[in-house]
Amino acid sequence: MQHIRDGIMVVNTETIAGKVITQNLGVVGGSTVRAKHVGKDIGAFFKNIGGGELRAYTELLEESRSEAIARMVADASARGANAIVNVRFATSAVTSGAAELFAYGTAVLVE
Amino acid sequence: MVDPSAICWGPLLLIAVLFSILGILWAIAYPLLFLYGAVFSGRNLEKRMNNIVSRERASIEHFGKDPLSTLKGAQIVGGIHESGIVYSSVVYSPSHWQLLIAGINQLFGGSVSIIHRVIAVGRAEATQRLREQAQTAGWEDVLNVRIDTAEMTPSSVKKGPRAVEIFAYGTGVRYG
Repeated sequence: MQHIRDGIMVVNTETIAGKVITQNLGVVGGSTVRAKHVGKDIGAFFKNIGGGELRAYTELLEESRSEAIARMVADASARGANAIVNVRFATSAVTSGAAELFAYGTAVLVE
Repeated sequence: MVDPSAICWGPLLLIAVLFSILGILWAIAYPLLFLYGAVFSGRNLEKRMNNIVSRERASIEHFGKDPLSTLKGAQIVGGIHESGIVYSSVVYSPSHWQLLIAGINQLFGGSVSIIHRVIAVGRAEATQRLREQAQTAGWEDVLNVRIDTAEMTPSSVKKGPRAVEIFAYGTGVRYG
């Protein structure tokens, strides 16, 4: 199962349908700052003049998002949770070409 | 005083040469790409929109309806077998030509439709990718969809790509 990582279910709804939350284990989060190498940056800069999708940056954010989720899941499993509910994401651009991704949610025990 | 012969000139020279090559390339490529943007960016946008619409039709046919909704799942009576997160994103940018036109538009105020169209296409692309993600993961419905927009380059920074990142996420469910 792709959506169950290390035995932890991750959803962004407040409850998991068909299951009952028995214990709240607090807020867990994972963040990461990533950047592409300078060649891709230059390529994206040239692509930017003509407009359209900047594939290098789409990839960058995809990678950093899955890393942020992986860290959040690691945090949750350290607390002994088996699910994370109400997950939210926040992005901030620190400088151009680097993205800070933050994923957070509530670690819970479900039955 | 530093003896000039004691400085290692090799790497410095290499960096200088690389920078000047980049500068020359920039000077040649910028006007060409700018012209390309001026001529083709509107057409490319239209092509992309048509592509998204046809993909959207295909995925609506697959699901039987639009799978995305911002509901939280309280309306479901049958019960849900499985659920999990789905997300997709796209980084989309207006061309420098479009930014120039938008700058002129801003002088007069009112709606800046040229940028609006670019963002609309980016958002349609992100939501369509979310549908496709849900399709490949085998979900039947996507609940609690949220769409976020973030700037790639902070507005305080002068240089850097002027692009927005559009990020859509939701919870995929399978009925059972």
